[in-house]
Amino acid sequence: MKKFLAKRLGSGSLAVLFSIIFNFVIIRLAPGDPATLLVGKDNPNPEMIAMIREQYGLDKSMFEQLGAYFNQLFHLDLGYSYANSRDVWDMIVERLGPTLMIALTGTLIAVLIGTFIGVYAARKKGTFIDQAICSISYLFDSTPSFWLGLMLILLFSSILGLFPTSGMYNLRGNYTGFAHIMDVIQHMFLPVLTLVLLNIPYYFRIARSSVLQVMSEDFIMTLRATGMSEKKIFNKYVLRNAIIPTITVFGINLAYMVTGVSMIEITFAWPGMGRLMLDSITKRDYPVISGIYLVLSISVAIGMIIVDIVYATIDPRIRIEE
Amino acid sequence: MNKAKFMAFLGRLRHNKQMMIGCILLGFLILIAIFGPSFAPYNPKLLQDDTLASPNATYLLGTDNLGRDVFSMILYGVRTSLQIGFIAAMISAAIGIIVGGIAGFFGGIIDKILNEIMNIFMMLPTFFLILLVVALFGSNMTNVMIVIGVTSWVSNARLMRAQAISLKERTFVKSAITMGESKWSILIHHIIPNGIFPIIAQTTMNISGAILTEAGLSFLGLGDPNVFSLGQIINNGKMYMPRCWWISTFSGVVVVLIVLTFFLIGDGLNRVLSPKMDANK
Amino acid sequence: MHLLDLKNVNITYHTNDKKVRAVRNVSLSVDEQESVGIVGESGSGKSTLVMGILRLLPENIVETSGEALLEGKDIFKMSQQELHDCRWTTMSVIFQKSMNSLSPVHRIGKQMEDIYRVHYPNESSENIKKRIYELLKIVNLSDRVYMSYPHELSGGMMQRVAIALSLIFQPKLLIMDEATTALDVVTQSQILNEIMELEKKMKISRIMITHDVSVVASTCKRVVVMYAGELMEQGDVKDVLLHPKHPYTQGLLRSFPSFKGARENLKGIEGNLPDLSLPLEGCVFADRCPHATKHCLKEKPKEIETGNRWSVRCHLLEGGA
Repeated sequence: MKKFLAKRLGSGSLAVLFSIIFNFVIIRLAPGDPATLLVGKDNPNPEMIAMIREQYGLDKSMFEQLGAYFNQLFHLDLGYSYANSRDVWDMIVERLGPTLMIALTGTLIAVLIGTFIGVYAARKKGTFIDQAICSISYLFDSTPSFWLGLMLILLFSSILGLFPTSGMYNLRGNYTGFAHIMDVIQHMFLPVLTLVLLNIPYYFRIARSSVLQVMSEDFIMTLRATGMSEKKIFNKYVLRNAIIPTITVFGINLAYMVTGVSMIEITFAWPGMGRLMLDSITKRDYPVISGIYLVLSISVAIGMIIVDIVYATIDPRIRIEE
Repeated sequence: MNKAKFMAFLGRLRHNKQMMIGCILLGFLILIAIFGPSFAPYNPKLLQDDTLASPNATYLLGTDNLGRDVFSMILYGVRTSLQIGFIAAMISAAIGIIVGGIAGFFGGIIDKILNEIMNIFMMLPTFFLILLVVALFGSNMTNVMIVIGVTSWVSNARLMRAQAISLKERTFVKSAITMGESKWSILIHHIIPNGIFPIIAQTTMNISGAILTEAGLSFLGLGDPNVFSLGQIINNGKMYMPRCWWISTFSGVVVVLIVLTFFLIGDGLNRVLSPKMDANK
Repeated sequence: MHLLDLKNVNITYHTNDKKVRAVRNVSLSVDEQESVGIVGESGSGKSTLVMGILRLLPENIVETSGEALLEGKDIFKMSQQELHDCRWTTMSVIFQKSMNSLSPVHRIGKQMEDIYRVHYPNESSENIKKRIYELLKIVNLSDRVYMSYPHELSGGMMQRVAIALSLIFQPKLLIMDEATTALDVVTQSQILNEIMELEKKMKISRIMITHDVSVVASTCKRVVVMYAGELMEQGDVKDVLLHPKHPYTQGLLRSFPSFKGARENLKGIEGNLPDLSLPLEGCVFADRCPHATKHCLKEKPKEIETGNRWSVRCHLLEGGA
């Protein structure tokens, strides 16, 4: 177990290190002068460029620059957005909340519904219902998130007039307290629905195939031969064994959650990280772009390590494997 | 008893049907990609006076804000999507086969290092990485294809590595080693040709993924501005939603169909290759 | 009355618009405290037969006919409740892959406890634990197995766990389906010896399915030879294995090294199993039989008693040949 964790921790740290160096290198490899890139192409202020060159030590050796970069990151300093005149770290933290709101809600609902349908389909294996659900899941798997979002807007907002099309709250409403919460929930509905619809097939398939796989194991035969009721076999033994892959995938999804919802955020103009990324790209605001990328890769690496720890605690087999 | 037999029959039919539908759709798509431009009723770049016309006899799927025929744009867009999907998936397959083959066949310290690199790549937030690269290096088609290919090879490499490890123990490879054939020659002549089938299935799936990614990039306005792409059409139509729904809706349906095609074929291939998975699924 | 009495048992699989008649007209009986080995190559229907007796085949694709009387009651006609009552208490089973015979994510002791509660739901935890520790001791396992997970034990140890589990209610009939095949020779013979001792102590009958004739020779009293779903020859081990009368039995024994140590050439039997989804005329073994005549291809041989509970299905023996 310790060895296993140490190994995963090693991999995670390497991934973080790789991301940092990649981030450092890519700005310097990009066509054009890094200082000009960092200030922003639309902002050719020679004084500022000189200042950045000084601050980032761009005339010093690569090695010293990398050292300075690490030192800067160590102090949670992701740089300064000249386009927004704000600290990059603050901008990211501000957007994290709304992103997590959608991502967590959507992923949780999807894992519950998807697993439920998957278990149901596995028990009805081969029937018409099972095959119908499988076919629908293929269809959703092939659907781009942004387009599904647009179609939901078309259906729910334009035709049925039920939900707002974009944003996080009604800017003219000035609601407070409970009314404000209801307003946000109303705005959340469509983005969350998109995320749920796209993630259900994922969890559905995993639950279905792992239930079927466990049902074909020898120990199920033994338990049947003992006279144990099918209900007890299913509820205690099949589910407990079959839930492991679902939990693993759920964890991995949580780790990648921010990436997963970015397109949906952009479609619904939800003020999260994805939206920030796109805005920064359109403005060529490189300090923010690279800051977001760095924060994401570190959080994914940490998330994956946590997944491994959880996985090792729920599946006793992992603990002794190398 | 008859019911059971009937269900088993239905199940088999479904599997066959899945591949069948996939292949028919693929044939159709290839036809569009090759002959599409000559079918197109209008030049998609042609700006006409009928802007934002709803679908009618003259413009089958309507026109966009600049008066371009949506149907013609889609025909050109299919070509772009397929091109990007194929080439990106091929790049990913090539890297995956080489890295996975070397790691699995050579083993030892080389395997350890390559495996660690795979682990690192697995942990990268791919889509944001692609955004970062495209934002910095510009969004032309070549860049998009390369960056998608370079960020999606790990699944192929893992499959190839597993194949190489198991093939290494087979008699024909062992006898080739005994006969003094060089390691590289064995890798190229025995390991890769014999282990490539799962990679073919995976690559078919990767085409789906690449097409989705490209559509996403174009939707964000980060696609190649010089070609017609389905994502771009959707993005363009978004501004005229909901009144002019046809621009985004039809182009999106086509994306779903293309992605579904490769998904069905890839999944079908996987079933044929591993009957055990078939029993479980 | 026999403990288990099979009369004309037929088991048919309905799959993919095919009918596979995996077991045909099998009649055999097992007395109390008797050990019977069923031998045959893979595909001979021996596993299907016992899975059928255990009623563990998927009922929606399997059709059974004939009678399987367990203490006089037909297993095939039992209600769910009757079946529940006799499972594990009267008849228990040990499967081939002992490593997979218990759930990998539950502790062994907890699973055994659960199984105990299937038939005695109100028993106190302490009593159950005591019983399980006792069983573990009987099969020479330490107490620590109770808190272990299956993957923490070796194949041999898991086999012992499976044996302990099968003895939990002192059943009258123990079925072993290739239960020791996966073990190394030393562990296998150790475990077989232990089982034979336990049988004597607990008065248990055993049906042992294997393709290894030497295991039957050393551990069973009677032997049943199956081929392509039919019973070829059955009788006492010392009769059948020393003086086999059926050409198939003779061939099967020739394909194993001689017990007496004289080195003969190992001979397999030429040819393959017939396709059981097609209707078969005559003797099933005729295609591969060195002595087959035209008569064998046309007419099915009857079961001929040639001695004390020794019967053979072969035309060669008709008319005292």
